[in-house]
Amino acid sequence: MITINYFGNIAEAAQSDSETLDLKSMSLEDLLELLDSKYGIKKFQFQVAVNRKIISTKQGLSLSDRDEIALLPPFSGG
Amino acid sequence: MERFQRQTILPGIGISGQQKLQDSKVLVVGAGGLGCAVLPYLASAGVGSLGIVDGDKVELSNLHRQVLYSEKSIGEFKVLESEKALSSMNSQLTITTYSVFLTLENVDNLITEYDLVIDATDNTEVRYILDEACRVAGKAMIYGSIFRFQGQVSVFNYQGGPSYRSLFPEEDQSSLNCAEAGVLGTTVGMIGMLQANEALKIILGMGEILSGKILIYNMLKNDQQIFELAIQEKVISEKAISSTIDLISVEKALVEGGLLLDVRELGEKPVVSLENCIQIPLSVLESRLDEISKEAKITVFCQAGSRAISAAKILKKANFQQVKAIRGGASDLLKLITNEKSIS
Repeated sequence: MITINYFGNIAEAAQSDSETLDLKSMSLEDLLELLDSKYGIKKFQFQVAVNRKIISTKQGLSLSDRDEIALLPPFSGG
Repeated sequence: MERFQRQTILPGIGISGQQKLQDSKVLVVGAGGLGCAVLPYLASAGVGSLGIVDGDKVELSNLHRQVLYSEKSIGEFKVLESEKALSSMNSQLTITTYSVFLTLENVDNLITEYDLVIDATDNTEVRYILDEACRVAGKAMIYGSIFRFQGQVSVFNYQGGPSYRSLFPEEDQSSLNCAEAGVLGTTVGMIGMLQANEALKIILGMGEILSGKILIYNMLKNDQQIFELAIQEKVISEKAISSTIDLISVEKALVEGGLLLDVRELGEKPVVSLENCIQIPLSVLESRLDEISKEAKITVFCQAGSRAISAAKILKKANFQQVKAIRGGASDLLKLITNEKSIS
């Protein structure tokens, strides 16, 4: 299981704060493609955190069972 | 000292901590929802010197969350109304008000007197300008921002730590501000309070600072998560700096002259017909750049401001040298032109 937490406008696009996908492993790039096809996330700017650590590059990272992903867009209200 | 007795008896604060608060100078940029939460707590805690920057006036729709203001404040500058409220809380305070919007031109002067800067704005462009100036000046910027029922808090540029731009390199105009997305007073209140709390910790040298980390609070779930930034601070390229667009007021745009570029789609109202004004809709701007001289002084406007910024970026990328965007939109411009005509 991989858990994905959504924040800000991405949570609105996904109509959910969180979901779990029944996956044993997957590359992060493939996961982001999958989420883009479901929710169109690529139109947003966001950072990706894996297990609460924001990663500096999305390339070449493979996710494994029980990883927790977060998609973090900037907010702008005040 | 009786006044601060309940905080000076806390471990790690004492009389010396109170003196640190008294000696500190904090600039709060934005006197809206976040600013109204940050300011009274800094003032009451005895922060000796506060600067407040905001060019806005109080409106009726501000009152549900901007709790420093009353119905009598409507139409008055926010900075002056907050000064009134704060000086009645603590008459020993030194308050300096700046009834202007922060821009590329005034940012360095505004921050120079202060040790610590609080980003309580609701504007992404201004945030990048402030972040860059704080990074260069080596001053911490305490960031807070809202999306509906969620808020983010972080401390950027703290002791050489990561900047806002290193977390979000691309400027994103798609995220909504409070006017567009809606907000509850308690949400901005709590996020502002977390910003004030970081400020007190930095001044007092206590606790863990949210530097290299971003906290996200979900008010509907009472859920708080902290994410670590793994990003290394990179040297900001010239390109990144020049991609920040300078926003100017309608008044200033008219005084400065040059070419006014309307990037609204054809048929959008009100129509602005001025000699020095041309219209090229944003949707076709890239294919019609040859209609504008590269040397021209260009001020871009649209209906509300965000398309003007996108258009200004396209122009800058295409090597137009003197490009600015108007804060606000066509109706503000028209209001001013009509006023000037009726005066003359």
